[in-house]
This record gives sequence, C-alpha cells and structure tokens, in this order.
Amino acid sequence: MVGKFEGFEIPKPIPALTEDTKPYWEGCRRHELLIQRCHDCGHYRFPPSGLCPRCMSTNTEWAAASGKGEVYSWTIFHYVYHPAYAKDIPYNVAIVQLDEGPLLHTNIIECKNEDIYIGMPVEVMFEDVNGEISLPKFRPLSE
Amino acid sequence: MNLKETCAIVGIGFSEFGKKVPKSTMTLTLEGCKRAIEDAGLAKDDVDGLLLVLPSQEGERHGWVCRTCSHLGISSTFSAGLDIGGATPIAMVQLATMAINAGMCNTVVCCYGWQNSPMGIPLSMPPGLDFTAPYGDLAALPFKAQVARRHMHLFGTTSRQMGAVAVTFRRHACMNPQAQMYAKGPITIEDHQNSRMIVEPLRLLDNAPITDSGGAVVVTSAERARYLRHRPVYISGMGQAHSGEFMRPWRDPRYPEGTFEGGKAAEIAFSMAGVKHKDIDIAQFYDGFTILVIIELETYGFCKPGEGGSFVEEGRLELGGELPSNTAGGLLSEGHLMGMGHIAEAVRQLRGECGERQVKDAEVAFVTGYGGSPHEYPISFSYSTLILTR
Repeated sequence: MVGKFEGFEIPKPIPALTEDTKPYWEGCRRHELLIQRCHDCGHYRFPPSGLCPRCMSTNTEWAAASGKGEVYSWTIFHYVYHPAYAKDIPYNVAIVQLDEGPLLHTNIIECKNEDIYIGMPVEVMFEDVNGEISLPKFRPLSE
Repeated sequence: MNLKETCAIVGIGFSEFGKKVPKSTMTLTLEGCKRAIEDAGLAKDDVDGLLLVLPSQEGERHGWVCRTCSHLGISSTFSAGLDIGGATPIAMVQLATMAINAGMCNTVVCCYGWQNSPMGIPLSMPPGLDFTAPYGDLAALPFKAQVARRHMHLFGTTSRQMGAVAVTFRRHACMNPQAQMYAKGPITIEDHQNSRMIVEPLRLLDNAPITDSGGAVVVTSAERARYLRHRPVYISGMGQAHSGEFMRPWRDPRYPEGTFEGGKAAEIAFSMAGVKHKDIDIAQFYDGFTILVIIELETYGFCKPGEGGSFVEEGRLELGGELPSNTAGGLLSEGHLMGMGHIAEAVRQLRGECGERQVKDAEVAFVTGYGGSPHEYPISFSYSTLILTR
C-alpha cells in the first residue's frame, strides 16, 4: 500500500477513527460490515452519526449489513491526485448502494474496469491495510 | 416583506488572477475589495459591512473577517465569514440585502480570496474524506464524474453534449481579454473529445482551471445606489436550497420519494422577483464542471429532467441563442473566480459594459452558485440563486 514520489515512500491515506466512526472501522477489522440502524424507526444510515436524519432519534444500534448491494455509479481514475495511487492507474472508484439503502464509495475488485456497470450486483470483501484498518471493497456477486 | 429591488450592486472588482499569482490569500482579498470600492465611486469609510467567504485552503483561521476589516481600515457594524462552498458569493449578496433592510448597516463589501497553494500552510487531509480517500478518491472532480455517469445512464446524456458546454463558454471567453483561457483561443467538440481523461467519464476540458484570485462586490440600498457612479443593478430575487439527502443532486426517477429538489432555490427567487423563465435575458450558471450546467438547467426548470444535454447541444446557451449564458467564459474559461465572477458578469451585462459580448438590451439576469459539501462525507449540496435587474 505504498507509492513512490521523488524518492520518498508515501503511504495511501488511511481513515482516522473518531467517536462516530470507531465502531464501523472496528467492525471492518473483524470483516463485518456494520451500519447504524435507528432503534426507533429502523432507518439505516451512513456515514455514522449521532442522530437519525429521518426521525431525529438518538437511539442508535449497530447492525450487521447483508454486505450485498449494487453499483449505483462508477468512475475510472486516469489522473494522479495522490502519488500513492500512481501505480494503480487506471483504477475504479464506484458508489455501491447496499441492500439496506445507504450509499458508499468503494473499489470494485475481482472485475475488469470495463466490465463494471450500473446495477451490477456486488458483495463485500475486506482488504487488510494494517493491523487496525481493513477496507470494505466489493466484488461481483457470485451466482 | 418582499425585498425586491430594495438593494443594488454598485461596485465590482477583482485582483490580478491566473493559474499562479504570487500573493497571499489576504492580499488577493484586499485587492478585490479595493477595486470594488473604487468601481462604486465610494471611499472605504463609506463601507460599514463586510462579508467574506471563509478560505478553507487556509485551514482553521479564527477571526479572518475581523482581520480583513483591520487590513482594510474599515470599522464595520455588520460582519460575518461564511462557507457554503461555491454557493457562498451569492449567499453573501443575499445576507447583505437582509442586513441593510434590517438596519444593521448601509453599504456592504462581499469578498473572497483564494490561493491554491498558500505558503506556510501544511497540507492536510480534510475531515470527511475518510470514506473516499482510502479508495483513491480525492479532489472535487471525481464525484462529478460519478454524477455524470449516473446522468448518462438515466437519460442518455453524452460526453459530446458536455463538450458543447465547454466549447460554448470558451467561445465567450475569447471575447473577454481578462479571461484566463483567452490566450488559448477557441476549442471544438473534437478538442474536447481528444482531451485526456481525468476521471472517466470526465475529460480535462470538462473541468475548470485552477485560479488564484480575489474579488468583491459592493451592495447598498437602492436609494443610495441612484447617486453612485454606475447605473444600479438591483437585487430582485434570491433563493437557496440545501439538500438533506446524501449524494443525490437531481431528481432520480428510481428514487422519487424524498428526493431533493434544488429547484426550490430558483422557485423562491422567481417568485420574489415576479419573473418567469422566458423573462431571463442572460444567465450565469455555476460551472465548475460541464455536467453541472446540464443538471442546473434541469433543476431550475429551463428544461425537463434529462433534456439538459440536448438543450446545450442545440446552441441555446450561446451569445445569440435563447439563453446566453456564462458570457465572460464562466469558471470553465474565464477562470475559477468562485462564483463571484458570475455575479460580476451579470452586473457588467446589465450595465451594458460588455462590448463585443454584450447581450443587447439585457434587463434580467439569473445567476447561480453551487457548493455545500460536494465531495466530503456526508456528500450534500447547496444551491443559491440571484435575479438581478436594471
């Protein structure tokens, strides 16, 4: 997970855990996709926060998501915005809509860029970055 | 209380601007203020209100607006620093109008400064990128590429139609010697199609250039405006809309329930001004990316959802077309003046100062801003609009 830039090794950015996001990333570390569900109205939300945007309840629980969803939109990066990604170009970044409703950014793996399409069924996989962080990524759903 | 035509824009001004200007964010801001105050024919002591865009590139800086007042030597009775991204310049003009009507102040300078690589500020990862950057998604353009892909999928919008936005606005910039892309000359659809992919499906020419700049406009009461240097440009309508829904900037037929309608920003402004779409003589659409213009045409009701691409391709945004738009070149070709350039160009058109690119008898202008948190989680959108009249 390291790129070369003028002789320095520059790592890819990794998420910084906050009070709101720690349970999410700890779930990912265990290869579980946890998202928040409102305890009162049942609304699933992402990114993590302290209040349900549908009913304003602060009564929240972490629920195991099915890990299944579909591609909502997708792009291919040809430009180096960050030196750590230079060797990956061209790489995809997609938005996946989980079956529970929330949308999230991710990479589609185990799939050629040109084979990605909107509506493609996908399932979550976890990529271990270091001892603390694992990133949820998605691969085409096996039939 | 309808604030229609209670206030006017009486001065506009910009610093030197371009891809790289070796001046601080504060100095760029001050130069814009100076030129706008001079353009109004006012002295700095006539100014008693100051609003500015918080310069996010400078990091967390408490008291930026107070220090700007000090540098200008202005004692203000109403000041604030605002940030709703590219929707902020218009929001400042709106707030100035409200503050003047509330009796808080009489003459307000609304300003910004923007420097892409300020000296002495360490690069840091803004909060909110934790759910995008680890996947290699950074900067403002990539999310617009997601939006463009979705729009293409839903409505059959094409890259050539997005190219038509870039080609049209470049043609306009070629009539504006101040424009950053003036020297580069006109472009064709083929130039757009041959420009390199940045984040597929968006190409280099779908993207506004980076610009270091500062700028300002001066707002005062309509009564006072009549005795100043230029013909007053009245603030006739103003509106805003902020999405409470993540990532969906347009009405999506798959998700009709609860889908955000940015069009309220235009409805409120049209209602206040008492005008209809057919009354608009010129428009200045916030155009950081070509796809935004197509979506705004739909959002604000100039065409139906899904028809924005063909609307542009038919040449309707060109000088001489039915809705001459971004007549100075817009963010795409005049330079990234943060949306303040859009207000200023509407003012110049309504004053009749535009020479070769002047729209004859232009009386009603529609101006838009777009921002919010358009690429940091939770991704969400702010729209602001102005209707200006002479």
